[in-house]
Amino acid sequence: MESYVLITGATGGLGKAFAVECAYRGWNLFLTDLSEEHLCCFATSLMNTYAVRVIYSPCDLTDAAERQKLLSHIRSCNISFSALINVAGLDYEGLFSDRSPEQIRTLIRLNIEANLEITAEILKLRNRIKPFRIINVASLAAYYSMPLKAMYAASKRFLLSFSMALREELRPYGVTVTTLCPAGLPTTPECIKAIERQGFAGIITTKNVGYVAAKTIDHALKGHAVYIPGKLNQLLRFFSSFIPSVVITRFIGSRWQRAGENKLQKPEHLIWNLWRKTEGVT
Amino acid sequence: MNTRPSSTLLEQAGRNLKGKTVVITGATSGIGLAATKIMAGYGAFVIGIGRSEQKCRMAETEIRELHADAKIAYLTADLSLLREVRKLAEKIKETVHKEGNDCIDVLVNNAGTFACWYISTEEGFELQFAVNYLAPFLLTYELLPLLKAASTGRIINLSSGSHYRTKIRWNDIMMRKHYNCLMAYKQTKLANVLFTAELNRRLGKYHRSNKTQDSCINIRAFVVDPGLVNTQIGFKGTTGIVKWIWKMRSQRGIEPEEAASTIIYLAGDPNVLNSQEIYWKNCHPLKPSKYSQREDVALRLWEMTEQMCGIRWEN
Repeated sequence: MESYVLITGATGGLGKAFAVECAYRGWNLFLTDLSEEHLCCFATSLMNTYAVRVIYSPCDLTDAAERQKLLSHIRSCNISFSALINVAGLDYEGLFSDRSPEQIRTLIRLNIEANLEITAEILKLRNRIKPFRIINVASLAAYYSMPLKAMYAASKRFLLSFSMALREELRPYGVTVTTLCPAGLPTTPECIKAIERQGFAGIITTKNVGYVAAKTIDHALKGHAVYIPGKLNQLLRFFSSFIPSVVITRFIGSRWQRAGENKLQKPEHLIWNLWRKTEGVT
Repeated sequence: MNTRPSSTLLEQAGRNLKGKTVVITGATSGIGLAATKIMAGYGAFVIGIGRSEQKCRMAETEIRELHADAKIAYLTADLSLLREVRKLAEKIKETVHKEGNDCIDVLVNNAGTFACWYISTEEGFELQFAVNYLAPFLLTYELLPLLKAASTGRIINLSSGSHYRTKIRWNDIMMRKHYNCLMAYKQTKLANVLFTAELNRRLGKYHRSNKTQDSCINIRAFVVDPGLVNTQIGFKGTTGIVKWIWKMRSQRGIEPEEAASTIIYLAGDPNVLNSQEIYWKNCHPLKPSKYSQREDVALRLWEMTEQMCGIRWEN
Protein backbone atom coordinates (compact mmCIF):
# COMPACT_ATOMS: atom_id res chain seq x y z
CA MET A 1 0.00 0.00 0.00
CA GLU A 2 1.41 3.36 -0.97
CA SER A 3 1.75 6.25 1.41
CA TYR A 4 0.25 9.64 0.67
CA VAL A 5 0.16 13.10 2.18
CA LEU A 6 -3.30 14.62 2.48
CA ILE A 7 -3.47 18.38 2.00
CA THR A 8 -6.71 20.30 2.50
CA GLY A 9 -7.05 23.74 0.93
CA ALA A 10 -4.45 22.59 -1.56
CA THR A 11 -4.99 25.17 -4.29
CA GLY A 12 -4.76 28.20 -2.02
CA GLY A 13 -1.50 30.06 -1.61
CA LEU A 14 -0.09 28.17 1.36
CA GLY A 15 -1.64 24.87 0.27
CA LYS A 16 0.10 25.09 -3.09
CA ALA A 17 3.41 25.82 -1.40
CA PHE A 18 3.00 22.77 0.84
CA ALA A 19 2.04 20.57 -2.10
CA VAL A 20 5.02 21.70 -4.16
CA GLU A 21 7.37 21.17 -1.22
CA CYS A 22 6.05 17.66 -0.56
CA ALA A 23 6.22 16.77 -4.24
CA TYR A 24 9.76 18.09 -4.39
CA ARG A 25 10.61 15.69 -1.57
CA GLY A 26 9.12 12.89 -3.61
CA TRP A 27 5.99 12.27 -1.55
CA ASN A 28 2.73 11.17 -3.14
CA LEU A 29 -0.15 13.57 -2.65
CA PHE A 30 -3.86 13.50 -2.03
CA LEU A 31 -5.22 16.99 -2.62
CA THR A 32 -8.57 18.46 -1.82
CA ASP A 33 -10.10 21.89 -2.28
CA LEU A 34 -13.25 23.46 -3.65
CA SER A 35 -12.63 23.66 -7.37
CA GLU A 36 -12.14 20.54 -9.43
CA GLU A 37 -10.73 22.53 -12.32
CA HIS A 38 -7.96 24.10 -10.24
CA LEU A 39 -7.15 20.79 -8.58
CA CYS A 40 -6.90 19.01 -11.91
CA CYS A 41 -4.62 21.62 -13.41
CA PHE A 42 -2.38 21.70 -10.34
CA ALA A 43 -2.22 17.92 -9.98
CA THR A 44 -1.25 17.40 -13.62
CA SER A 45 1.50 19.93 -13.32
CA LEU A 46 2.86 18.34 -10.13
CA MET A 47 2.85 14.89 -11.69
CA ASN A 48 4.80 16.14 -14.69
CA THR A 49 7.28 18.24 -12.81
CA TYR A 50 8.08 16.07 -9.83
CA ALA A 51 7.12 12.58 -11.06
CA VAL A 52 5.00 11.75 -8.01
CA ARG A 53 1.52 10.27 -7.77
CA VAL A 54 -1.20 12.82 -7.16
CA ILE A 55 -4.83 12.00 -6.40
CA TYR A 56 -7.36 14.78 -6.01
CA SER A 57 -10.95 15.06 -5.00
CA PRO A 58 -12.93 18.31 -4.79
CA CYS A 59 -14.88 18.83 -1.58
CA ASP A 60 -16.65 21.66 0.22
CA LEU A 61 -15.32 20.95 3.69
CA THR A 62 -17.96 23.11 5.37
CA ASP A 63 -20.62 20.59 4.33
CA ALA A 64 -20.79 17.51 6.57
CA ALA A 65 -22.32 15.33 3.85
CA GLU A 66 -19.60 16.27 1.37
CA ARG A 67 -16.97 15.53 3.99
CA GLN A 68 -18.41 12.06 4.44
CA LYS A 69 -18.32 11.56 0.70
CA LEU A 70 -14.69 12.64 0.59
CA LEU A 71 -13.74 10.34 3.44
CA SER A 72 -15.47 7.34 1.91
CA HIS A 73 -13.74 8.13 -1.37
CA ILE A 74 -10.41 8.19 0.47
CA ARG A 75 -11.15 4.84 2.11
CA SER A 76 -12.12 3.32 -1.23
CA CYS A 77 -8.77 4.35 -2.71
CA ASN A 78 -7.13 1.79 -0.44
CA ILE A 79 -4.16 3.93 0.42
CA SER A 80 -2.40 4.84 3.65
CA PHE A 81 -1.20 8.20 4.82
CA SER A 82 2.14 9.35 6.13
CA ALA A 83 1.13 12.93 6.83
CA LEU A 84 -1.84 15.26 7.03
CA ILE A 85 -1.59 18.99 6.39
CA ASN A 86 -4.70 20.93 7.39
CA VAL A 87 -4.46 24.18 5.48
CA ALA A 88 -8.09 24.96 4.69
CA GLY A 89 -9.38 27.90 6.69
CA LEU A 90 -11.00 31.26 6.15
CA ASP A 91 -11.33 34.67 7.67
CA TYR A 92 -14.00 37.38 7.50
CA GLU A 93 -12.52 40.70 8.43
CA GLY A 94 -14.68 43.32 10.06
CA LEU A 95 -16.93 43.80 13.03
CA PHE A 96 -18.46 40.70 14.55
CA SER A 97 -21.83 42.44 14.70
CA ASP A 98 -21.78 42.63 10.89
CA ARG A 99 -21.50 38.85 10.46
CA SER A 100 -24.45 36.88 9.21
CA PRO A 101 -25.43 33.58 10.87
CA GLU A 102 -24.35 31.82 7.69
CA GLN A 103 -20.86 33.35 7.87
CA ILE A 104 -20.53 32.39 11.53
CA ARG A 105 -21.46 28.80 10.78
CA THR A 106 -19.15 28.59 7.77
CA LEU A 107 -16.14 29.82 9.70
CA ILE A 108 -16.67 27.44 12.62
CA ARG A 109 -17.34 24.54 10.29
CA LEU A 110 -14.29 25.05 8.15
CA ASN A 111 -11.71 26.22 10.67
CA ILE A 112 -12.70 23.83 13.46
CA GLU A 113 -15.22 21.12 12.59
CA ALA A 114 -13.72 20.03 9.27
CA ASN A 115 -10.20 20.11 10.64
CA LEU A 116 -11.04 17.86 13.60
CA GLU A 117 -13.12 15.41 11.64
CA ILE A 118 -10.56 14.96 8.89
CA THR A 119 -7.80 14.54 11.48
CA ALA A 120 -9.74 11.84 13.34
CA GLU A 121 -10.50 9.88 10.17
CA ILE A 122 -7.08 10.13 8.56
CA LEU A 123 -5.42 9.01 11.80
CA LYS A 124 -7.16 5.67 11.32
CA LEU A 125 -5.71 5.36 7.84
CA ARG A 126 -2.14 6.22 8.80
CA ASN A 127 0.79 4.15 7.72
CA ARG A 128 1.85 2.47 10.95
CA ILE A 129 5.36 1.63 9.84
CA LYS A 130 6.49 5.23 9.79
CA PRO A 131 5.95 8.17 12.13
CA PHE A 132 2.78 10.02 11.15
CA ARG A 133 3.00 13.80 10.84
CA ILE A 134 0.13 16.20 11.34
CA ILE A 135 0.57 19.86 10.47
CA ASN A 136 -2.19 22.23 11.51
CA VAL A 137 -2.11 25.71 10.11
CA ALA A 138 -3.09 28.19 12.80
CA SER A 139 -1.80 31.74 12.81
CA LEU A 140 0.13 34.16 14.95
CA ALA A 141 -3.40 35.35 15.71
CA ALA A 142 -3.75 32.22 17.86
CA TYR A 143 -1.75 33.96 20.58
CA TYR A 144 -3.79 37.14 20.70
CA SER A 145 -7.37 38.26 20.77
CA MET A 146 -7.91 40.31 17.67
CA PRO A 147 -10.62 42.92 17.29
CA LEU A 148 -12.04 42.88 13.76
CA LYS A 149 -10.79 39.30 13.38
CA ALA A 150 -12.43 38.05 16.56
CA MET A 151 -13.82 34.75 15.31
CA TYR A 152 -10.78 33.96 13.21
CA ALA A 153 -8.29 34.54 16.03
CA ALA A 154 -10.41 32.52 18.43
CA SER A 155 -10.75 29.62 16.01
CA LYS A 156 -7.01 29.59 15.51
CA ARG A 157 -6.50 29.62 19.28
CA PHE A 158 -8.78 26.60 19.43
CA LEU A 159 -6.61 24.82 16.87
CA LEU A 160 -3.41 25.66 18.68
CA SER A 161 -4.72 24.46 22.02
CA PHE A 162 -6.19 21.32 20.48
CA SER A 163 -3.01 20.51 18.58
CA MET A 164 -0.83 20.81 21.67
CA ALA A 165 -3.06 18.42 23.58
CA LEU A 166 -3.36 15.99 20.69
CA ARG A 167 0.40 15.97 20.35
CA GLU A 168 0.78 14.73 23.91
CA GLU A 169 -1.99 12.16 23.53
CA LEU A 170 -0.50 10.65 20.41
CA ARG A 171 3.16 10.82 21.30
CA PRO A 172 3.40 7.16 22.34
CA TYR A 173 2.01 6.11 18.95
CA GLY A 174 4.66 7.80 16.86
CA VAL A 175 2.40 10.61 15.74
CA THR A 176 3.67 14.18 15.82
CA VAL A 177 1.50 17.28 15.68
CA THR A 178 3.04 20.56 14.60
CA THR A 179 1.19 23.86 14.59
CA LEU A 180 2.24 26.52 12.14
CA CYS A 181 1.66 30.06 13.40
CA PRO A 182 2.60 32.48 10.62
CA ALA A 183 2.07 36.22 10.49
CA GLY A 184 0.70 37.55 7.20
CA LEU A 185 1.56 35.47 4.16
CA PRO A 186 1.76 37.06 0.72
CA THR A 187 -0.21 34.44 -1.16
CA THR A 188 -2.72 36.34 -3.26
CA PRO A 189 -2.84 39.90 -4.60
CA GLU A 190 -5.47 40.69 -1.93
CA CYS A 191 -3.22 39.39 0.85
CA ILE A 192 -0.31 41.38 -0.51
CA LYS A 193 -2.42 44.51 -0.53
CA ALA A 194 -3.54 43.81 3.04
CA ILE A 195 0.07 43.39 4.13
CA GLU A 196 1.06 46.58 2.38
CA ARG A 197 -1.80 48.36 4.10
CA GLN A 198 -0.15 47.46 7.39
CA GLY A 199 2.86 49.44 6.28
CA PHE A 200 6.43 48.83 7.29
CA ALA A 201 5.60 46.47 10.16
CA GLY A 202 3.50 44.34 7.81
CA ILE A 203 6.35 43.91 5.37
CA ILE A 204 9.07 43.02 7.85
CA THR A 205 6.93 40.46 9.69
CA THR A 206 6.06 38.74 6.43
CA LYS A 207 7.88 35.67 5.13
CA ASN A 208 7.42 34.19 1.71
CA VAL A 209 5.21 31.11 1.45
CA GLY A 210 7.72 28.76 -0.13
CA TYR A 211 10.13 29.31 2.73
CA VAL A 212 7.42 28.86 5.33
CA ALA A 213 6.20 25.61 3.79
CA ALA A 214 9.69 24.11 3.55
CA LYS A 215 10.62 25.12 7.11
CA THR A 216 7.33 23.87 8.53
CA ILE A 217 7.91 20.43 7.07
CA ASP A 218 11.44 20.41 8.49
CA HIS A 219 10.00 21.22 11.91
CA ALA A 220 7.27 18.61 11.56
CA LEU A 221 9.86 15.95 10.72
CA LYS A 222 11.67 16.85 13.93
CA GLY A 223 8.40 16.61 15.85
CA HIS A 224 8.35 20.20 17.08
CA ALA A 225 5.13 21.46 18.63
CA VAL A 226 4.90 24.98 17.24
CA TYR A 227 6.65 26.80 14.44
CA ILE A 228 6.48 30.58 14.16
CA PRO A 229 8.21 31.73 10.95
CA GLY A 230 10.62 34.61 11.29
CA LYS A 231 12.91 35.56 14.17
CA LEU A 232 11.14 38.89 14.59
CA ASN A 233 7.76 37.22 14.96
CA GLN A 234 9.22 34.81 17.51
CA LEU A 235 10.60 37.75 19.49
CA LEU A 236 7.30 39.61 19.28
CA ARG A 237 5.50 36.52 20.53
CA PHE A 238 7.97 36.09 23.38
CA PHE A 239 7.92 39.66 24.66
CA SER A 240 4.20 40.07 24.25
CA SER A 241 3.68 37.23 26.72
CA PHE A 242 4.81 39.62 29.49
CA ILE A 243 2.26 42.26 28.59
CA PRO A 244 -1.32 42.05 29.89
CA SER A 245 -3.62 40.73 27.18
CA VAL A 246 -6.04 43.62 27.64
CA VAL A 247 -3.31 46.03 26.60
CA ILE A 248 -2.26 43.95 23.63
CA THR A 249 -5.81 43.54 22.43
CA ARG A 250 -6.36 47.27 22.55
CA PHE A 251 -3.13 47.90 20.65
CA ILE A 252 -4.00 45.38 17.94
CA GLY A 253 -7.47 46.83 17.66
CA SER A 254 -6.15 50.31 17.00
CA ARG A 255 -3.65 48.95 14.47
CA TRP A 256 -6.30 47.14 12.45
CA GLN A 257 -8.49 50.19 12.64
CA ARG A 258 -5.79 52.41 11.19
CA ALA A 259 -4.77 49.81 8.61
CA GLY A 260 -8.39 49.72 7.47
CA GLU A 261 -8.35 53.48 7.07
CA ASN A 262 -5.00 53.29 5.27
CA LYS A 263 -3.23 55.58 7.72
CA LEU A 264 -0.18 53.51 8.59
CA GLN A 265 3.22 54.65 7.47
CA LYS A 266 4.52 52.94 4.36
CA PRO A 267 8.21 52.27 3.69
CA GLU A 268 8.42 54.57 0.70
CA HIS A 269 6.94 57.36 2.81
CA LEU A 270 9.51 56.65 5.51
CA ILE A 271 12.32 56.93 2.99
CA TRP A 272 10.76 59.93 1.32
CA ASN A 273 10.41 61.77 4.63
CA LEU A 274 13.96 60.86 5.61
CA TRP A 275 15.25 62.12 2.29
CA ARG A 276 13.28 65.33 2.60
CA LYS A 277 14.74 65.94 6.04
CA THR A 278 18.34 65.30 5.02
CA GLU A 279 18.12 67.23 1.75
CA GLY A 280 16.19 70.05 3.29
CA VAL A 281 13.45 69.74 0.68
CA THR A 282 10.08 71.01 1.72
CA MET B 1 28.36 53.33 -26.08
CA ASN B 2 24.76 53.82 -27.13
CA THR B 3 25.30 53.42 -30.85
CA ARG B 4 22.14 54.15 -32.76
CA PRO B 5 21.23 51.54 -35.35
CA SER B 6 21.51 52.83 -38.88
CA SER B 7 18.12 53.89 -40.14
CA THR B 8 18.61 52.49 -43.63
CA LEU B 9 19.20 49.02 -42.22
CA LEU B 10 16.07 49.33 -40.13
CA GLU B 11 14.10 50.58 -43.10
CA GLN B 12 15.22 47.61 -45.12
CA ALA B 13 14.35 45.18 -42.33
CA GLY B 14 10.97 46.83 -41.92
CA ARG B 15 10.13 46.64 -45.62
CA ASN B 16 11.07 42.98 -45.54
CA LEU B 17 8.29 42.42 -43.04
CA LYS B 18 5.55 43.27 -45.54
CA GLY B 19 3.16 40.37 -45.82
CA LYS B 20 4.93 38.38 -43.10
CA THR B 21 3.06 36.81 -40.19
CA VAL B 22 4.31 37.88 -36.78
CA VAL B 23 3.23 36.66 -33.34
CA ILE B 24 4.18 38.86 -30.43
CA THR B 25 3.34 38.34 -26.76
CA GLY B 26 2.86 41.14 -24.27
CA ALA B 27 1.71 43.38 -27.10
CA THR B 28 -0.50 45.72 -25.11
CA SER B 29 2.14 47.88 -23.49
CA GLY B 30 5.81 48.79 -23.43
CA ILE B 31 8.20 47.28 -25.95
CA GLY B 32 5.61 44.84 -27.28
CA LEU B 33 3.12 47.56 -28.15
CA ALA B 34 5.83 49.69 -29.78
CA ALA B 35 7.06 46.75 -31.88
CA THR B 36 3.49 45.86 -32.87
CA LYS B 37 2.86 49.42 -34.06
CA ILE B 38 6.00 49.52 -36.17
CA MET B 39 5.52 46.07 -37.70
CA ALA B 40 1.87 46.72 -38.47
CA GLY B 41 2.95 49.97 -40.07
CA TYR B 42 5.26 48.08 -42.42
CA GLY B 43 2.38 45.87 -43.51
CA ALA B 44 3.06 42.71 -41.53
CA PHE B 45 0.17 40.64 -40.24
CA VAL B 46 0.67 40.93 -36.49
CA ILE B 47 -1.01 38.67 -33.94
CA GLY B 48 -0.66 40.42 -30.61
CA ILE B 49 -1.13 38.58 -27.31
CA GLY B 50 -2.28 40.34 -24.16
CA ARG B 51 -3.68 39.29 -20.82
CA SER B 52 -6.56 41.68 -20.42
CA GLU B 53 -9.32 41.88 -23.00
CA GLN B 54 -9.78 45.57 -22.35
CA LYS B 55 -6.10 46.46 -22.86
CA CYS B 56 -6.09 44.44 -26.07
CA ARG B 57 -9.01 46.44 -27.41
CA MET B 58 -7.31 49.68 -26.40
CA ALA B 59 -4.06 48.72 -28.11
CA GLU B 60 -5.94 47.66 -31.22
CA THR B 61 -7.77 50.97 -31.56
CA GLU B 62 -4.55 52.84 -30.90
CA ILE B 63 -2.82 51.04 -33.76
CA ARG B 64 -5.77 51.35 -36.10
CA GLU B 65 -5.76 55.09 -35.53
CA LEU B 66 -2.10 55.19 -36.57
CA HIS B 67 -2.39 52.81 -39.50
CA ALA B 68 -5.95 52.49 -40.78
CA ASP B 69 -5.18 49.52 -42.99
CA ALA B 70 -3.10 47.64 -40.40
CA LYS B 71 -3.53 43.88 -40.38
CA ILE B 72 -3.64 43.01 -36.70
CA ALA B 73 -5.45 40.55 -34.48
CA TYR B 74 -5.36 40.52 -30.72
CA LEU B 75 -5.75 37.33 -28.68
CA THR B 76 -6.02 37.10 -24.92
CA ALA B 77 -4.20 34.59 -22.74
CA ASP B 78 -2.76 34.42 -19.25
CA LEU B 79 0.78 33.32 -20.03
CA SER B 80 1.49 32.35 -16.42
CA LEU B 81 -0.43 29.10 -17.00
CA LEU B 82 0.88 26.39 -19.28
CA ARG B 83 -2.60 25.18 -20.15
CA GLU B 84 -3.46 28.71 -21.29
CA VAL B 85 -0.32 28.76 -23.42
CA ARG B 86 -1.46 25.52 -25.06
CA LYS B 87 -4.90 26.94 -25.71
CA LEU B 88 -3.33 30.10 -27.05
CA ALA B 89 -1.20 28.13 -29.52
CA GLU B 90 -4.37 26.56 -30.91
CA LYS B 91 -6.01 29.96 -31.21
CA ILE B 92 -2.96 31.34 -33.00
CA LYS B 93 -2.99 28.47 -35.47
CA GLU B 94 -6.67 29.09 -36.16
CA THR B 95 -6.07 32.80 -36.69
CA VAL B 96 -3.19 32.13 -39.04
CA HIS B 97 -5.24 29.67 -41.10
CA LYS B 98 -8.20 32.05 -41.20
CA GLU B 99 -5.92 34.65 -42.72
CA GLY B 100 -5.09 32.16 -45.46
CA ASN B 101 -1.53 31.49 -44.30
CA ASP B 102 0.04 28.25 -43.21
CA CYS B 103 3.15 29.57 -41.53
CA ILE B 104 4.47 32.02 -38.95
CA ASP B 105 7.56 33.98 -39.94
CA VAL B 106 8.41 35.60 -36.64
CA LEU B 107 7.61 34.71 -33.03
CA VAL B 108 8.51 37.37 -30.49
CA ASN B 109 8.40 36.11 -26.91
CA ASN B 110 8.28 39.54 -25.40
CA ALA B 111 5.92 39.23 -22.41
CA GLY B 112 7.65 39.51 -19.09
CA THR B 113 6.76 40.31 -15.55
CA PHE B 114 8.22 41.08 -12.16
CA ALA B 115 6.98 40.07 -8.71
CA CYS B 116 8.23 41.21 -5.33
CA TRP B 117 6.88 38.24 -3.44
CA TYR B 118 7.03 34.57 -4.18
CA ILE B 119 3.72 33.97 -5.91
CA SER B 120 2.82 30.51 -7.06
CA THR B 121 0.67 30.07 -10.16
CA GLU B 122 -2.26 27.67 -10.19
CA GLU B 123 0.10 25.08 -11.61
CA GLY B 124 2.59 25.49 -8.79
CA PHE B 125 5.28 27.43 -10.64
CA GLU B 126 6.77 30.68 -9.48
CA LEU B 127 5.10 33.55 -11.34
CA GLN B 128 8.18 35.18 -12.88
CA PHE B 129 9.62 31.82 -13.87
CA ALA B 130 6.33 30.81 -15.49
CA VAL B 131 5.76 34.02 -17.45
CA ASN B 132 9.32 34.95 -18.37
CA TYR B 133 10.68 31.53 -19.13
CA LEU B 134 8.21 28.61 -19.24
CA ALA B 135 5.68 30.39 -21.46
CA PRO B 136 8.22 31.23 -24.20
CA PHE B 137 9.55 27.68 -24.06
CA LEU B 138 6.16 26.05 -24.46
CA LEU B 139 4.80 28.57 -26.97
CA THR B 140 7.86 28.08 -29.16
CA TYR B 141 7.43 24.33 -28.93
CA GLU B 142 3.78 24.52 -29.90
CA LEU B 143 4.34 26.92 -32.80
CA LEU B 144 7.52 25.33 -34.14
CA PRO B 145 5.81 23.40 -36.97
CA LEU B 146 4.40 26.67 -38.32
CA LEU B 147 7.74 28.43 -37.91
CA LYS B 148 9.51 25.66 -39.78
CA ALA B 149 7.01 26.00 -42.60
CA ALA B 150 8.07 29.61 -43.20
CA SER B 151 10.74 30.48 -45.74
CA THR B 152 12.72 32.02 -42.91
CA GLY B 153 11.45 31.40 -39.39
CA ARG B 154 12.73 33.56 -36.58
CA ILE B 155 12.21 33.24 -32.86
CA ILE B 156 13.05 36.31 -30.81
CA ASN B 157 13.25 36.01 -27.04
CA LEU B 158 13.65 38.90 -24.68
CA SER B 159 16.46 38.80 -22.18
CA SER B 160 18.35 41.64 -20.59
CA GLY B 161 21.65 42.71 -19.18
CA SER B 162 20.47 41.26 -15.89
CA HIS B 163 21.41 37.80 -17.19
CA TYR B 164 25.07 38.59 -16.52
CA ARG B 165 26.63 37.59 -13.22
CA THR B 166 24.09 35.01 -12.23
CA LYS B 167 23.68 31.25 -12.29
CA ILE B 168 20.91 28.70 -12.37
CA ARG B 169 20.07 27.51 -8.86
CA TRP B 170 19.58 23.87 -9.59
CA ASN B 171 18.43 22.77 -6.16
CA ASP B 172 15.67 25.30 -5.95
CA ILE B 173 15.16 26.69 -9.41
CA MET B 174 12.04 28.67 -8.49
CA MET B 175 13.66 29.99 -5.31
CA ARG B 176 10.83 28.77 -3.16
CA LYS B 177 12.93 28.85 -0.03
CA HIS B 178 15.00 31.97 -0.40
CA TYR B 179 13.10 34.10 -2.81
CA ASN B 180 14.69 37.30 -3.93
CA CYS B 181 12.73 39.09 -6.61
CA LEU B 182 15.71 40.53 -8.46
CA MET B 183 17.66 37.27 -8.35
CA ALA B 184 14.60 35.40 -9.58
CA TYR B 185 14.21 37.88 -12.42
CA LYS B 186 17.88 37.63 -13.36
CA GLN B 187 17.65 33.88 -13.44
CA THR B 188 14.66 33.84 -15.80
CA LYS B 189 16.51 36.14 -18.16
CA LEU B 190 19.57 33.89 -18.02
CA ALA B 191 17.30 30.93 -18.69
CA ASN B 192 16.03 32.69 -21.81
CA VAL B 193 19.57 32.99 -23.18
CA LEU B 194 20.33 29.35 -22.37
CA PHE B 195 17.06 28.30 -23.99
CA THR B 196 17.79 30.27 -27.15
CA ALA B 197 21.30 28.88 -27.46
CA GLU B 198 20.12 25.30 -27.03
CA LEU B 199 17.24 25.88 -29.42
CA ASN B 200 19.69 27.02 -32.10
CA ARG B 201 21.85 23.95 -31.55
CA ARG B 202 18.80 21.73 -31.98
CA LEU B 203 17.49 23.61 -35.00
CA GLY B 204 20.94 23.33 -36.57
CA LYS B 205 20.93 19.59 -36.05
CA TYR B 206 17.41 19.33 -37.46
CA HIS B 207 18.52 21.29 -40.45
CA ARG B 208 21.62 19.17 -41.09
CA SER B 209 19.67 15.92 -40.84
CA ASN B 210 17.00 17.13 -43.26
CA LYS B 211 19.05 18.81 -45.92
CA THR B 212 21.90 17.06 -47.65
CA GLN B 213 23.16 20.28 -49.17
CA ASP B 214 24.86 22.73 -46.86
CA SER B 215 22.40 25.48 -47.71
CA CYS B 216 21.72 28.35 -45.35
CA ILE B 217 19.72 27.63 -42.27
CA ASN B 218 16.15 28.86 -42.57
CA ILE B 219 15.14 29.04 -38.93
CA ARG B 220 16.98 30.68 -36.06
CA ALA B 221 16.42 32.01 -32.58
CA PHE B 222 17.78 35.26 -31.17
CA VAL B 223 17.85 37.05 -27.84
CA VAL B 224 17.23 40.75 -27.57
CA ASP B 225 18.65 42.86 -24.79
CA PRO B 226 16.50 46.01 -24.80
CA GLY B 227 18.60 47.75 -22.19
CA LEU B 228 16.93 49.97 -19.62
CA VAL B 229 13.55 50.94 -21.07
CA ASN B 230 10.90 53.26 -19.74
CA THR B 231 8.08 50.70 -19.37
CA GLN B 232 5.63 49.55 -16.74
CA ILE B 233 7.42 46.30 -15.81
CA GLY B 234 8.55 47.60 -12.42
CA PHE B 235 4.97 48.37 -11.45
CA LYS B 236 3.64 44.85 -11.94
CA GLY B 237 3.09 43.03 -8.67
CA THR B 238 5.52 45.15 -6.72
CA THR B 239 5.32 46.88 -3.39
CA GLY B 240 5.58 50.60 -2.87
CA ILE B 241 9.30 50.85 -2.42
CA VAL B 242 10.14 48.93 -5.60
CA LYS B 243 7.65 51.02 -7.53
CA TRP B 244 9.37 54.11 -6.27
CA ILE B 245 12.83 52.87 -7.25
CA TRP B 246 11.58 51.84 -10.68
CA LYS B 247 9.91 55.22 -11.17
CA MET B 248 13.27 56.92 -10.58
CA ARG B 249 15.25 54.40 -12.62
CA SER B 250 12.99 54.01 -15.63
CA GLN B 251 13.07 57.74 -16.33
CA ARG B 252 16.66 57.36 -17.43
CA GLY B 253 15.73 54.50 -19.75
CA ILE B 254 15.21 54.73 -23.48
CA GLU B 255 11.73 54.87 -25.00
CA PRO B 256 9.99 51.60 -25.94
CA GLU B 257 10.02 52.57 -29.64
CA GLU B 258 13.79 52.72 -29.59
CA ALA B 259 14.04 49.41 -27.76
CA ALA B 260 11.72 47.80 -30.29
CA SER B 261 14.07 48.60 -33.17
CA THR B 262 16.33 45.63 -32.38
CA ILE B 263 13.27 43.38 -32.59
CA ILE B 264 12.32 44.85 -35.97
CA TYR B 265 15.88 44.46 -37.21
CA LEU B 266 16.12 40.80 -36.17
CA ALA B 267 12.65 40.06 -37.50
CA GLY B 268 13.23 41.55 -40.92
CA ASP B 269 16.91 41.75 -41.82
CA PRO B 270 17.74 39.23 -44.59
CA ASN B 271 21.37 38.68 -43.60
CA VAL B 272 20.92 38.15 -39.91
CA LEU B 273 19.95 34.50 -40.38
CA ASN B 274 23.45 33.62 -41.47
CA SER B 275 24.96 35.22 -38.42
CA GLN B 276 26.21 32.96 -35.67
CA GLU B 277 25.50 35.62 -33.06
CA ILE B 278 22.51 35.13 -30.79
CA TYR B 279 22.62 38.02 -28.31
CA TRP B 280 21.71 41.45 -29.74
CA LYS B 281 21.50 44.92 -28.33
CA ASN B 282 20.87 48.10 -30.34
CA CYS B 283 20.98 46.00 -33.55
CA HIS B 284 24.53 44.91 -32.76
CA PRO B 285 25.68 41.52 -31.56
CA LEU B 286 27.01 41.39 -28.04
CA LYS B 287 28.71 38.64 -26.10
CA PRO B 288 26.34 37.01 -23.63
CA SER B 289 27.69 35.80 -20.29
CA LYS B 290 30.09 32.84 -20.36
CA TYR B 291 27.76 30.80 -18.20
CA SER B 292 24.91 31.25 -20.64
CA GLN B 293 26.98 29.69 -23.42
CA ARG B 294 27.72 26.48 -21.54
CA GLU B 295 26.17 23.54 -23.38
CA ASP B 296 25.90 21.29 -20.33
CA VAL B 297 23.95 23.91 -18.41
CA ALA B 298 21.64 24.58 -21.34
CA LEU B 299 20.96 20.87 -21.84
CA ARG B 300 20.21 20.29 -18.17
CA LEU B 301 17.84 23.25 -18.07
CA TRP B 302 16.20 22.11 -21.29
CA GLU B 303 15.50 18.62 -19.99
CA MET B 304 14.20 20.03 -16.72
CA THR B 305 11.85 22.36 -18.58
CA GLU B 306 10.60 19.58 -20.83
CA GLN B 307 9.64 17.67 -17.72
CA MET B 308 7.86 20.69 -16.24
CA CYS B 309 5.88 21.26 -19.43
CA GLY B 310 5.23 17.55 -19.86
CA ILE B 311 6.58 17.54 -23.41
CA ARG B 312 9.38 15.88 -25.31
CA TRP B 313 11.02 17.97 -28.00
CA GLU B 314 11.79 15.76 -30.96
CA ASN B 315 13.81 17.08 -33.83
